[in-house]
Order: sequence, then C-alpha cells, then structure tokens
Amino acid sequence: MSAPLPKRIIKETERLQSEPVPGISAQPHDDNARYFDVIVEGPGGSCYEGGVFQLELFLPDDYPMCPPRIRFLTRIYHPNIDRLGRICLDVLKNNWSPALQIRTILLSIQALLGAPNPEDPLNEAVAKQWKENQPEAIKTAREWTELYAKKK
Amino acid sequence: MKFGHEYETALANEGYPEQWVNSAIDYKHLKKCIKRVHRELESLGLDEHTLAAMNDLVAQPQTPKPTGIDPKDYFSASNPDLSPIQEEFTPQLKVLVDSKTGLALDARLAPETKASLQKLAKHEMVVEGRKKRLEQAKARQQQLQLPDTTDSVLDGSERKESLTPDVEDARWVYVPLASAQDFFEMLEPKLAELDALRDAETRNLEEKILDLGDLVEDVVQPVREGFEAKREISYRDLYFWREMFRLYLEKPIFYSEAEQKRGAITFDEARKNLENYDHTLRETGLLAKMKTPQAKAAAQQFLDLNLQILKVMHFQEMNARAMRKILKKFDKRTHLQGDQFAKNLIVKYPGIKSSKSGAGGFADSIGRDLQAEMGTKVLAIVPQLDDWICPVCCEMAWRPVNLGCCRAVLCIRCVIDLQSKNMKKCPMCNAETVMAANGKNLDMDTMEFLEIYFPMEVKKRQKENEKAQLARDYGEEFVKPGCTVM
Ligand SMILES: [Zn+2]
Ligand SMILES: [Zn+2]
Repeated sequence: MSAPLPKRIIKETERLQSEPVPGISAQPHDDNARYFDVIVEGPGGSCYEGGVFQLELFLPDDYPMCPPRIRFLTRIYHPNIDRLGRICLDVLKNNWSPALQIRTILLSIQALLGAPNPEDPLNEAVAKQWKENQPEAIKTAREWTELYAKKK
Repeated sequence: MKFGHEYETALANEGYPEQWVNSAIDYKHLKKCIKRVHRELESLGLDEHTLAAMNDLVAQPQTPKPTGIDPKDYFSASNPDLSPIQEEFTPQLKVLVDSKTGLALDARLAPETKASLQKLAKHEMVVEGRKKRLEQAKARQQQLQLPDTTDSVLDGSERKESLTPDVEDARWVYVPLASAQDFFEMLEPKLAELDALRDAETRNLEEKILDLGDLVEDVVQPVREGFEAKREISYRDLYFWREMFRLYLEKPIFYSEAEQKRGAITFDEARKNLENYDHTLRETGLLAKMKTPQAKAAAQQFLDLNLQILKVMHFQEMNARAMRKILKKFDKRTHLQGDQFAKNLIVKYPGIKSSKSGAGGFADSIGRDLQAEMGTKVLAIVPQLDDWICPVCCEMAWRPVNLGCCRAVLCIRCVIDLQSKNMKKCPMCNAETVMAANGKNLDMDTMEFLEIYFPMEVKKRQKENEKAQLARDYGEEFVKPGCTVM
C-alpha cells in the first residue's frame, strides 16, 4: 500500500485548479494523484505560437526533495528538448529547490519555449541548426508545431 | 438617461457632503459655456461648416492649390488649433490670413470676419519664429513651382512674412476666444479642488484606517494582561478576524492584484466586490459569531470604512467621467481642439492619468492607495497562515528553523529531511546553509509568535508529529487505529 498523499501535493493540485496559470493546465490522474496530464501552450510571438503541447509529469516518492519528472509527449523541434521529449532545464536538475512547485516548473518550461538556448543543447542536431542557420531552424520549428502540436 | 441628468441626480441624491458637491465639475454650466463658444464662433463667421472645412483641409495638407487664384479657395498649412501660450493657457483660433485683403486663406468667411481678421493681422506680430521658418521652408518648395510674383504695395518687413507665391502677405492670426477661455477657466480650478479633495479625503480615511488598526489590535490580542480568563474567547475572535481578513485578501475590493489582471478597477467592479464580500461574511456568519461587543463594533467599523472608500471612489469617478464628456462635447460643438488642454492637465495633475481598466480620474489612485493602506495598517495586524508556511511541506512551519541565510523559516523536520538527502542549499535563497544547521537554529521568537497567533494549528501539527514519531519508532502498524482494538 502506498503512503498517503502528502499535504503539499494536495495543496499544489488544488491551487492548480483554483488559480490556473494562463496557457498551462495540469490534471492529475484519477487512479494516481502523482501523475499529471499537462498541457502547455506555445508562448505568443515564439515559433511555437498556436501550438498545444502535451507533457506528462510525475511526482516521485521523494518529491519535493527531488524534482518532478517531466517530458514532452508532443514532438517538438527545440534545441533543449530531445527526441524522447526529455527537457534540459537547470531547475529540473542541479538547480532544483524544494521551494519550487509544479506551477513554477511549468512556467519555466513555457519560458524555455519562448527562449531556446542552443548553447546548452540536449538535441545536438537541432542546436547545430539553430546556431548555423537560425531562420531555417525557426521555420522548421514552426512547421513541426503546425504538424504535431495543432489541435485537430 | 442623459449623462448630464444622471450626473446631477447622483450629485444631489447620493448623500455627498456639501463640500464635495461644491467641488464637483459643474457640468451644466460648462455645457452652457460651450453654447457661448459656439455663438462666439458663429459671430466671427466661423460656423460649424467652416470649422469643419478647416479641419478637413488639415487631412490633406500637401495639396494647397497654388494656381487658379480664386481667393476663396481653401488652403491650410496647419490645423486651426488651440495653441497654449507657455504657462498661461489661452484658447485661440489660429487662422492663416492675407493681411492685405483680410481674406482668411483657410476658410470661407463672412465679410465682418474678414474685417476683424485684417485688423488683427496688421497689428499683431504673431508669427512664432519656429513656425515661420517652417512655413518659409514650405513656401520655398512651392516657389520652385511658381516664380515669385511681383512686389506688392506692402513694405519690406511685412513682405518677409510671405508664405506663398500667390498670396503675398499671408500670416497667422490668433483669434482669442473669450468664451472658450471662460470654459477652461471654469473647468481647471475644479480639478485643483478635486485634487485637494482627494488629498484631504485620503488623509481623512488614512486616519480612520489607523484608528481601526488600533481597535483591531486590541480586539485580537490573544493574550492580554489581566484577561487570562478570557483567553479561550479571544482565541475564537482572533480566528474569526483572521478568516474575515483572509476572505478580504482573497479578492481585493478596490484594486485588482490578480496575476492576470493587476491594476485599477471601476467603481462598479469595486461595488460588486464589496457586495460579494459582504454576502460571504453573512453566509459564514462570522460577524454574529464574534464574542465581545468590542470585536463586533470593530468589525462594523471595518465594513463602514470600506463603504466610505467606495463613496470617495464613486464621487471621483463621476467627476472624471464628467470631465471626459464635457471635453468631448467641447470638441464636437466648437470644432476647436481641446486635446492640448487635456494634455496640459495631465502634466499638472498626474493623478488623473487613468489606466485603461480603471475608473479614471483621481478614483484610480484612491482605490490603490487606500487598499494598500488597509493592507499594511489593519489586515497585517492579524497574521495569516500563508505567511508562515514552510516552503518544503507547505504547512505551517512547525518548530521553525531559520538557517541564517534569509528570512525563510522551515520545519525542523523538513531541514532534517534535506540533510538526510544531502541537499545542501537553502530552498529559498540557495545558500549552502542546510548541513550546518542544528538545534541552535530553532527560531524561538517565531515559535512563540506562532503559539500565540496559531494555537490550533500548532496543536494539530504537534499531534501529527507525535504520530509520525511513533510510526518511526514502532512502525506504521502501531498508529493504525484498528490495531488498538486487539
Ligand atoms: Zn515543513
Ligand atoms: Zn536561505
């Protein structure tokens, strides 16, 4: 039998519902309150604008002593996100602090879509393209957004 | 309902103090004044039609007709406008005139207007140097198309004013408009009065907020000397006040603090907020639950004060609307542009600069300032649980520890957890202070404070902690209620 859900997770979940962040939603599964279906909208003005990206988020037993595990389910062309949807973001690794929350992490991810950082790449090929021919990379990102991240 | 009527009715029936009503924008008289401006313009031969034509010409300033010298043809190099003369604002009409014939080059004018304009043109040196240079540059461009015409009978100095080749002696004439001046002279002091009123009322309400703060402080004081016996009762009042203020903070009344929509709001929104708040208070029955008469009186005073803020806000919002409407009417009826005047006013009274969302005028700053004042002087007296939450477990910091790097307080349990996971950094400020923490870091002052102001939460966490301790010492089974029945 699993341990009862910590108050903190209950509180975070409640607040995500009662005060949703614009352009972001996170729904826990009925049968697993530590597993969330996440939707992040591409920020306006970025090459992901208009895209609706699905992610999965899991809170390990040690949470908040360790960061949530999170990855993109929707394919995305981004230098800091690899083919498996894993995200290179400092607050999800070394810079994690237990004071951070699901909502702050999702905001960071949304911000990462608005400001790709090819200097700290996870996806070498994309990062290379981004550095050598940025207009072309942005064009591809737009095409992928159109192709994979548009609501049908 | 017409705004004018609505406005006068509100002023008469909302129960405003006489002094406020006297400071209010005199919409009716200003309206009459506009009629006078209208008449004065007409008497100058500048009827609506003419003025409209002048404005239209401004839309195509690049198309003056240098040929076909029908002197009645319009052309205009600039807007007939109200030019501010430094410091003193005087509404004037600016017309381009041939000083020789008195013909207004901007517009078709009645003969008597021509005569008066001619007079003005001959006797006043009204062309500002800057404008002159601009006009001359323009004239030079035109001269490329048309050779200079022959000298006229005018003397040299006046010829220097020459603007266009086909009209020898064009110059700007400013027609002072007495009635328009009246209008602005009537309007402007009102703003000074309204500003003074805002100032006085803000101070008055701030004073009352301070008094209320003292009262609340007295009422919620959990343990008062000589009142030990009443401890239980005061506790309950403290919790009622906390809930009352928590609800108040949850949906601020006079100024929006929400993530999505921060900023000034209108009187209608503020009134709705206050009504909703009042409704919630009734539903929860908080007021009725208060034990001491002092607490009840203070709560009533709190609500009254909110109503007073609302009233000041309403009054100022109405005046802001009256001003916007009357300036619009002025523009529409006179075809003179009052924009410049409005711009000058904003420089003079930054308080009336309104945000898009808000009520406008002085009402915005009143809502914002008094809400802030209420927050720091009254609401802050009753500490809210949210301000004493441990960032790790999101519950009240139990046996609070301060790591010495920042102001954050964490549960001692949570610090031990961090240490056991070898997480060295303070969750709030990232300083590497976690591993060095020990019993000495217990924040005794905060602990005492929490015991006084959150006795129920402290008790609850104490129990939880004991249970967790038992679970750690004897295993999960021990604390399961079912096991005790064996
Ligand atoms: Zn804690
Ligand atoms: Zn710190």
